[in-house]
Amino acid sequence: MSEQKTQRPVPKANRFVETEAFWQGIEERELRLQYCPDTEQFQHYPRPVSIYTGKRNLEWRKVAGTGTVYACTIVRVPGPGLDGRLPLSVVTVELDEGVRILGNVLNADPVTVAIGQRVELAWDTIGEDTAYPAFNIVGT
Amino acid sequence: MSKDSIVIAGYSETPVAFKSGRSAYDFAGEAFAGLLAATGLEKALVDGLSVTVPLSECANPFFAVYMTEALGLSPSWLNYGGIGGCSATGGVARAAAAIRDGQAEVAVVLSADAPSTNWAANYGAWRGEFQDPVGIMGPPAAFGLLMSRYEHQYGLNYEALAKIAITQREGALLNENAYVKLQKPLSVDDYMNSRMIADPLRLLDCVMFCDGGNAFLVTTEGKAKALGLAKMVRPTAYAEVTNFKGDEATADITETGFSQLAPKVFGKSGLTPGDIGSFHPYDDFTIAVMMQLEDFGFCPKGRGSDYVMATDLSHRGELPVNTGGGQLSAGQPGLASGGLNLAEAVRQMFGEAGARQVANRETALVTGIGVIPYARNWGASAAMILEA
Repeated sequence: MSEQKTQRPVPKANRFVETEAFWQGIEERELRLQYCPDTEQFQHYPRPVSIYTGKRNLEWRKVAGTGTVYACTIVRVPGPGLDGRLPLSVVTVELDEGVRILGNVLNADPVTVAIGQRVELAWDTIGEDTAYPAFNIVGT
Repeated sequence: MSKDSIVIAGYSETPVAFKSGRSAYDFAGEAFAGLLAATGLEKALVDGLSVTVPLSECANPFFAVYMTEALGLSPSWLNYGGIGGCSATGGVARAAAAIRDGQAEVAVVLSADAPSTNWAANYGAWRGEFQDPVGIMGPPAAFGLLMSRYEHQYGLNYEALAKIAITQREGALLNENAYVKLQKPLSVDDYMNSRMIADPLRLLDCVMFCDGGNAFLVTTEGKAKALGLAKMVRPTAYAEVTNFKGDEATADITETGFSQLAPKVFGKSGLTPGDIGSFHPYDDFTIAVMMQLEDFGFCPKGRGSDYVMATDLSHRGELPVNTGGGQLSAGQPGLASGGLNLAEAVRQMFGEAGARQVANRETALVTGIGVIPYARNWGASAAMILEA
């Protein structure tokens, strides 16, 4: 699936808040998420303040990219950016660092993806050559 | 009922249409004129206006101000409600506060939208970087995720969801305002065979974006009587919460804002679930109806499927639910959606529901839901109890 050409628009960084570190991490094939050092918790998606304290004391830290499927669905209806991707496995992953992230499972038939399965970080491609974080089911 | 009780003393609703070619202003005008006709009220007496942010006109930040021009109103209190499907009940609650504060005496809560004709919304924010690439283009995928988690934790009988869809459809068959093409009966087979949208969410679990509008007259009981209005209901309890558990990274997404609102509205009104004459839960998806049956204590958490299968939810039943078809079967008039559930509740309590009239007109419970957040259930929740 990652090698299929799609019409997914390549996201632009820094539209919502400063997300340069996320995209720089992707170039280095690392998943970097926003971290609140005051409460020692990650948050995702990135915010203008810590959602735990309301302060702007935020860092970016690498996460392992391992976690568990918390919720899963299969998108079956066409839409923008979905050409050639259906049926598409969409999951909420609870990362081992205690934060959730939406993603796609790349290495499994969508109907076999289930809550509780372990996942690890994988790399999808958007547009010509932009990497985007995704997941593989472990042991598949 | 004290002299200064806040009351809803009139309502109006346009038929729901699909790709009507008309604007939110035009539907608002139809609903507003309908409200004046239904109440006999002179336009000049309206000194408060609450307007719901519509998908079809939201590119204009001054939509509410333009609306006063469109309607020829000069309100001393103007509210522009941006909590989606909570904006109608929320508008009534805000109007009540403004009236108690002396900012207005006769307020109209007006919601109109025409997204099936014109879509002007661009949610922006994080979506381009963190949601769109994943392929979550709208609410169905988010509700597919929510349903999957609910099913994992509690089990889910799809026949119960089918029953919600079928029962509400029976209500729509008796509702002349329901979108015409939705006015045909459904069977369990129809539901089960409907197209899978975002597993386990089927087409017949979902609303259809349509066009329409509704309006409510909010004033004091004393003023309503002075105006010669005989029919009125009291919003005796209201509660809302936005971004429920928003500072918890791993909150249980099957736990919704309504679990926090239910004890508040029952506590304030002194009522219990057994006292509710009809229930009008915001119904963008069938699972939302089931989860609210649980959250408001009609059945224990996680037992919604069993409760639905064992309970007659029609207008004749033990707990009449969305008796006019709700949004699922009347059509969702964009962000005027919350007013559709509210209009049916007021209509029932006024005794104007015709062939689908419920027996218990003493009380009703109405709710709203607004917007889909990142990897959670929904953004805003609102609940209102109405008493005769």
